Amino acid sequence: MAKVKKKRVGFVIDMTPLVDITFLLLTFFMFTAKFKSEAEAEQKFFIERPLASADTSKLPEQDLAIVKIAFPDSTKQDTSYYYEMTNEADWVAVKSGIEGLTPEQMQEAQLQVSLETLEALIKQTYRVNKETSMAIDADKSIRFKWISDAMDVLSDNRFTKFNYVTKKR
Amino acid sequence: MAGGGSLGGGGRSKRGKSSKRKAKKRVGFVLDMTPLVDITFLLLTFFMFTTTMATPQVMEMKVPPERDVPVEVKESQLLSILVDDEGDLFYFKAQEDAEPLEMKDVRNLAIKENLNQINELIIVLKVSENVDYGTVVQVLDELNLAEAGIVDEMRVNRNNPNFERSRKFTIADFTDEDREKIAEFNPQKGGGE
Repeated sequence: MAKVKKKRVGFVIDMTPLVDITFLLLTFFMFTAKFKSEAEAEQKFFIERPLASADTSKLPEQDLAIVKIAFPDSTKQDTSYYYEMTNEADWVAVKSGIEGLTPEQMQEAQLQVSLETLEALIKQTYRVNKETSMAIDADKSIRFKWISDAMDVLSDNRFTKFNYVTKKR
Repeated sequence: MAGGGSLGGGGRSKRGKSSKRKAKKRVGFVLDMTPLVDITFLLLTFFMFTTTMATPQVMEMKVPPERDVPVEVKESQLLSILVDDEGDLFYFKAQEDAEPLEMKDVRNLAIKENLNQINELIIVLKVSENVDYGTVVQVLDELNLAEAGIVDEMRVNRNNPNFERSRKFTIADFTDEDREKIAEFNPQKGGGE
């Protein structure tokens, strides 16, 4: 009475728990994922942010205008101001209020500007939406003069409260 | 759904009718989940790599709205912290002589001096235009950390639970006067010989 050997076709692992957990993680990452803004996608430089101790305050997402001060290339010889806004409608309104922008610049989400143009942009920003919060995002090895000039421009144009973008130490 | 249901029902009725045949016990029906898992893992890894968890944090900065209007303050209330071209720190009270300062001592100095003149002391940060922005943020960070120390000291150690901190702080320009004050510490530049 030998037992009939059951032919083993293949063995099956129950994958349900695996699928459960994977879907859970997938949905989590899908909902938390934040994609690069248009301005960030255009950005050709990298900003090495200064280190600061941990802080709970995060960069606001609504109605934010960022003054970026960075080296346009890796040689770190040249420095330039960049200006961008998260509010699309405001940004268009601000740009249309500025004279001397080329049609290409009108399309750009991030403008490389001189200090004079920056001042005009900030003035215009205040006119368009004075609730806009300002942030200065600068590379940590930039001379302080650049930041101090930008700060003077901001405070002259009634943005007396602004944020430095930092990286957690 | 429908397929699974009818199959299950069929199996049960078969077992009831023909008792001779050994009914294969059906635990449940198995669907090959491998492609599903494949695609899910693919998406999962994609989202895991593209998402940036560390959103940049910010340090808030307030500047007085009136930049050109002079504000009168008592000289004794001033504590100036100087940051020179090399990022070296110095400090002086009122119009006294400058003393060198280490980055790690900034916090303790700010706490100590603030406790001497509670809510009266004005810290003036004088930053040279040629210093790195990173150094400035580091000093500001130390001063921010000192705030917690001050409030903590007042509320806990000095039994003043309702202590309200009003912070007085400003960033000023680095003047030639300041440069002279610290010249003795930089013989290679200040002496000019």
